[in-house]
Amino acid sequence: MTPTEALITETTEVHCADVEAALDPVEADGTFRDSRECAALALSSGTTSLLLSPPTPRPKKG
Amino acid sequence: MKQSGTSIRLTGAVQDLATEVVSALRGGDHLRLAESLSVRDETGPPGDLALAAVRVLGPDVLLPAVLRIVPPDPDDLAVVRKAVDAFPPSADASPTSRWSHWAMRHTLLRLDPPLDDARTDGTEPGAGWLDGVPWQFLTHQLAVLAPLALPADDSALTRAARHRPVDVARGFVRAVRRRDWLQAAGAGRWLTLLDGVPDTLGLEGGLEFVAQMGGDDPRVALQVQAAQLLRAGAAR
Repeated sequence: MTPTEALITETTEVHCADVEAALDPVEADGTFRDSRECAALALSSGTTSLLLSPPTPRPKKG
Repeated sequence: MKQSGTSIRLTGAVQDLATEVVSALRGGDHLRLAESLSVRDETGPPGDLALAAVRVLGPDVLLPAVLRIVPPDPDDLAVVRKAVDAFPPSADASPTSRWSHWAMRHTLLRLDPPLDDARTDGTEPGAGWLDGVPWQFLTHQLAVLAPLALPADDSALTRAARHRPVDVARGFVRAVRRRDWLQAAGAGRWLTLLDGVPDTLGLEGGLEFVAQMGGDDPRVALQVQAAQLLRAGAAR
């Protein structure tokens, strides 16, 4: 295998791993919205009310 | 988590490709995937990064043709076929990777049926990994597989989604509240196809909000655009 072929193989292997990672992403860290912001959204979108539901429980620290 | 250089380039290539798909969905432009194969790459073999981007974006690369906004372009189909062959799921691949790969083959067969029975979309992956999972995980996985949310498609995955519309609606709300716009857009796309979604969800307004807040990411814009097109199609 020439150095160029080795580089191509290595690059392709990296791509395969990156493709797999991109196709199976972990859930992004989220910032929970303040209920007041959701209320503003609900008011601006007519009949929406579900976004006014109680906040989703935040992950416990520690 | 820190991304590798290749991963960052791949993310950029996927976003560029998503931009092109959104443009095609909005204006009927062709993608010209074959051209992108020759110009996108900087470090790998010719077209490697672009092919990887096609594989990651999955069947949505052909969404303008699936929704009959543009006719299928034989060159685009050839590129997608090449990506499918270049990046098959590994032996230990995730269910989402397997489903994405299957869906690309399925879409190719849908748009370009072979003259003989030589090519098939293969065995459909199972959806057992979603049995009884919490609604948060269900929504995340469905959002990752949002390109499979298409009308008239019946698979184990779509059946799993149809059984839990309220859970997906809850997941949509959670994603919005977490500002996870990509997940919200993907979940919203699924919700446009499901019966039994609570009217109180306000999906239409929610999708507009997601587009407004997260639309700078072309992948979000693509899912919202797809959802709105599917919703409009369902309303006709």
